[in-house]
Amino acid sequence: MKTNCSHQPDCLKLIQRILDKEASAEEEARFLANKDQCLPCQEGHELELALRKALKTSCHSKCPTSLLESIRSKISSIILLILLLIPLFCWFI
Amino acid sequence: MSTETSAAPALTESQSRALFEKEFVPHLDAMYNFALRLTNDEDDAHDLVQDTCMRAFRFIGSFEPGTYAKAWLFRILKNNFINDYRKKSRGPSKVEFEWFEQSFAGDDDPEPAFQADLQAETVNEMLGDEITSAIQALPVDFRMIIILCDLEEFSYEEMAKILNIPIGTVRSRLHRARALLKETLASYALKKGYKTDMLSA
Repeated sequence: MKTNCSHQPDCLKLIQRILDKEASAEEEARFLANKDQCLPCQEGHELELALRKALKTSCHSKCPTSLLESIRSKISSIILLILLLIPLFCWFI
Repeated sequence: MSTETSAAPALTESQSRALFEKEFVPHLDAMYNFALRLTNDEDDAHDLVQDTCMRAFRFIGSFEPGTYAKAWLFRILKNNFINDYRKKSRGPSKVEFEWFEQSFAGDDDPEPAFQADLQAETVNEMLGDEITSAIQALPVDFRMIIILCDLEEFSYEEMAKILNIPIGTVRSRLHRARALLKETLASYALKKGYKTDMLSA
């Protein structure tokens, strides 16, 4: 097992592209085939996965219901305004 | 003539409202979360999401049903943020960021000197608050791209459209942002006394 790797920066970019679902199937297969022999790649892969998981669990907030209600009522008043203005406008013409 | 004109807005009204419920409402949580990370303030996030929805509703005619509403809404939200909120809340971040991107411009550049000493186990042990404050500590453009990619799982192409930057810049900015996030987390870990070299020990 390799504990040091001169390609580590490139491997890290590849790992990120794989997790972002932007790598080709060949690139992914090549990475998976080599991963078992390379400790920095394994650690890098685990770290990237852990970071994504941590972000998903901690940076998560729900839209308050009051906000949804306020948007709905604003939209209703705009619609009402349009419904009133258009016939008025047509009547003037 | 008069029956035609009165029928038209009624149709548009119900269509627009249906479109709002079907295409906008499912993305409100994600939009609010994005707005909260950008502004770091609940009231500002509230206003930003509301302004975004009103603007989107005004241009609802230019939205093509069947296309990805989420990317369209996030683009409007980001533009709103840049135009209104960024100016008043975090003026210096643009300067910070430009310096950063210039110093590591391009994909073929040598890697940033820092290779954060951080292990997956350390990240797993960290508290949610530490992760969020590390995210909040990033320059806003880095924060933005990490959220779009890692949280909302937009593709590079969608992010390029939302942020209005070339796809190569998406790739390099994302890479820099992650390097900086790891650096920040590693320094937190050191300060808080988490073990940073568990595997090599």
